[in-house]
Amino acid sequence: MFTCKQVSKALHKEDLQNMPPMRRFFLKFHVKLCVFCGKFNKQVIDSQDMCSCFKENEATLELNREKLEPNQKAALKEKLSNIRTGV
Amino acid sequence: MADTNKPSGKVPITPPEEWVDKYGDYLYGFAMSRLRNPEAAQDCVQDTLLAGIKALKSFDGSRDIKFWLRGIMRNKIVDQIRKSIKENKVDIEAEDEALLESFWFKYSGIATTNPDPWQFNPRKYYDNSEFWVVFDSCIKEVKEPARQAFILRVLEDKTTEEVCKLLDVTPNYLWVLLHRARQQLKQLLETNWTDPKI
Repeated sequence: MFTCKQVSKALHKEDLQNMPPMRRFFLKFHVKLCVFCGKFNKQVIDSQDMCSCFKENEATLELNREKLEPNQKAALKEKLSNIRTGV
Repeated sequence: MADTNKPSGKVPITPPEEWVDKYGDYLYGFAMSRLRNPEAAQDCVQDTLLAGIKALKSFDGSRDIKFWLRGIMRNKIVDQIRKSIKENKVDIEAEDEALLESFWFKYSGIATTNPDPWQFNPRKYYDNSEFWVVFDSCIKEVKEPARQAFILRVLEDKTTEEVCKLLDVTPNYLWVLLHRARQQLKQLLETNWTDPKI
């Protein structure tokens, strides 16, 4: 069995979902039952889960992100074209 | 939600002269989400497109060129963060030092046995794209250097060793930074996300 410190350290180093199944099982088991680190580490696992879901979908989501201004685009195009033509 | 970022046969290659128009906004938005600095983000887009032009011969067409460029950009983002850390070194704060000296951290590697519970269950909204828009904007609001640690470790999948080296911090302090980032992200989501059913 793991100690609280080992569980916390493991979750700090690696996402639960990337761990081997046995290790994942014992860590989850500890977190579910532990009165000391259970609530805290459950929130760490939930956060890992949420972030991994975001990462999986980030490329396809329509996010409200900043866009290049037309003048920035024009400057960038000019710079790249100069570099490509060796000016 | 399906991930379309997976290899699926050969895709046509967009000529580099069209990259700024086609992918400029996407790459700039991506860089801004990680760097929060317009100048650094613009430099990042430029460096990415240049590196892409140079490496185009090695592009195998197995995925959309947009995602190939994004892959290149991830390294450029790490370079920009490294540069900004060199200019503004990460200093440990008294409050963080106290946390590292606390009984619960030493005994269990946690900050508290009784953290504030979530005011809503985020898992319920994983299929709601609006939730991720709010999540994305909340990440930008997390304070430095916790945000940089979070970006590198969580979103850019760097190992703890790599992040410690990049930020020049100890693994224990990285733990504090990630804890702060998670805490702030939770508070920001609780403030900014409104349950559509309410």
